[in-house]
Amino acid sequence: MNKKEQISKLIDEALASVESLSRAEAKPFLLTRIQARMTKETESVWEKAGWFITRPAVAFSGLCMIILINLAVIVFKGTTDTAGSTEQVAQSSTDEFSYTVATIYDTENTQP
Amino acid sequence: MNQPELIVQLQQGDESAFKKLVDEWQDMVYNTALSIVQDEDDADDITQDVFIQVYQSVSSFKGESKFSTWLYRITVNRALDHEKKKKTKKRFAFVQSIFRNNDEEQVQPAEFNHPGVQLEKKESAAELFNALKRIPDKQRIAFTLHKLEGQSYQEVAEIMNTSLYAVESLIARSKTNLKKILSGYYEKNISEQ
Repeated sequence: MNKKEQISKLIDEALASVESLSRAEAKPFLLTRIQARMTKETESVWEKAGWFITRPAVAFSGLCMIILINLAVIVFKGTTDTAGSTEQVAQSSTDEFSYTVATIYDTENTQP
Repeated sequence: MNQPELIVQLQQGDESAFKKLVDEWQDMVYNTALSIVQDEDDADDITQDVFIQVYQSVSSFKGESKFSTWLYRITVNRALDHEKKKKTKKRFAFVQSIFRNNDEEQVQPAEFNHPGVQLEKKESAAELFNALKRIPDKQRIAFTLHKLEGQSYQEVAEIMNTSLYAVESLIARSKTNLKKILSGYYEKNISEQ
């Protein structure tokens, strides 16, 4: 057999070597390992969140944000209260002096 | 329990249905992944990834294709992603080794022996698997699905989301390329002997 024929034979053998291949079997306890990984992934999300929140920079920024929001609420609430009381005074004086516009319909329509 | 029922139960989050699914399909997923990545530990990781993905995304399975086609598609994509990541890591490690300038030896991957190959064909199969690593991804996937997983051309076309003609062409080209690579290898080996 010459070299060319020998190579050709080897190539054919290599290509045919997988023809009667049987399926490789997965390693045992695959389901257990999948479940463990799924649980670990769920845990790790919370772990990551916890680790992120407890970082000094994040914790300090968060604290500052809370203080700022509180201050903002106090300041704006004060402003809103002043506007509200002005409106209340205007309303009470309206009630007292009856500023409402009387029309002809009001005199005719005596029923509420 | 038939397949559509199993899928409905899976979509409802039934854990016993998931167990049945893993029992039924684990070898198919593992064998496909192993044939692509040629590493038992990596194939095991990919198999786990595939089933986790199936569990999380089974609600998106509309039943337009066969369940096995969908599963093959996920497995092939996962295996290819895994290979890409591994190649990137290798490149990064190579760059690091240049800058570190140490004398540590690079670990070469061992010759891959598929556990399903008959003993007398192990050597030829190892050469074929080695050659498979050197052909383009699409050709390799088409060849693997057809020859190693025993899928018909039509099924391979569905898995790869391509035409029957394209699959025929891919497999023909893969054989030509494999023959070229193997020829080079054997020529070198015979002349060395």
